[in-house]
Amino acid sequence: MSNDPRPMVRKSSAIITIAAGATPETLYQRTTGGQNPRTVILRKILAYNAVAATTLMIGTGLGGAWVQRWPTLRLVNNMDNEWTEDMIPEVEIGADLTGQTNVLGVLVQVEIDEVGS
Amino acid sequence: MPALPQLYPYKAGPIEMVVMPGEIVGVWVNKVYNFFRVEFIEGYPRSEPLEIDFGALAAGGVSAVTQLALLEMPDTEFGQFRAEVLDDLSVILFQGRADQRHKLFTRVATYTRFNAIKDPCGHEGEFYVHEDNFAFMQAQNQTDYALTQSRVAFWGFRYVLDPLTEYSWKDKRLPTAWTRVPATAHL
Repeated sequence: MSNDPRPMVRKSSAIITIAAGATPETLYQRTTGGQNPRTVILRKILAYNAVAATTLMIGTGLGGAWVQRWPTLRLVNNMDNEWTEDMIPEVEIGADLTGQTNVLGVLVQVEIDEVGS
Repeated sequence: MPALPQLYPYKAGPIEMVVMPGEIVGVWVNKVYNFFRVEFIEGYPRSEPLEIDFGALAAGGVSAVTQLALLEMPDTEFGQFRAEVLDDLSVILFQGRADQRHKLFTRVATYTRFNAIKDPCGHEGEFYVHEDNFAFMQAQNQTDYALTQSRVAFWGFRYVLDPLTEYSWKDKRLPTAWTRVPATAHL
């Protein structure tokens, strides 16, 4: 568990089916309403791959604005793949979370904390 | 001698009555205090009948300013309430419909799902409803996805009152000891 004392709420994304290989797409849209947008800390990743051995990269931005924010994760074929918060560096991001795999059809769901008020 | 209880509005900690039965309150309505003796007090446990749902809100959506009919009080009664936001909302309190509570010069503080983390007892958001001086709320979904429900829960105390017509705020004929109950906005 995080020792961060700031108020935050735990959220999860929908199940994302990666639509195209090697193309970033949005995994989680952060809350931007109000005076100040919240920030996002990635806590859990669940990915199911029944397509082909591939990798999962998570970062920010779409298209040419894509920036990878964590090291590449290996997605074993025909396996579910989980990373929980004690394994994930506590990178805090002021943007939507995006991700990409090298093949389409991989299922990805993330859980995050949103920091703000 | 047992110590007298220290009772007052917005008291930190689990909600307590603001006065004991038999004591005098001044209820702030329409820019004056109206004076009453408290005859009877009972609790409103936090429960489903005291929970409002503003319904589904689209991403960035705002509800109508909604009368909290569930917190309507009968004549010669006022209610003391605290609130907890159950979904990821930002909620503004109004008393009356156009008069925001918890306001500063340029901004209005809101009830959110975060309040319970730093203010678990909810004392900062305590409010009072006197007779038909209704409370209203407006909920905003500040997230980037739709919410299927927008719930706020309430709990508190009921106070049954006996009007004291011998006192008048306007004429400055005041009781010697009384508790101030801010039941509407200070405009």
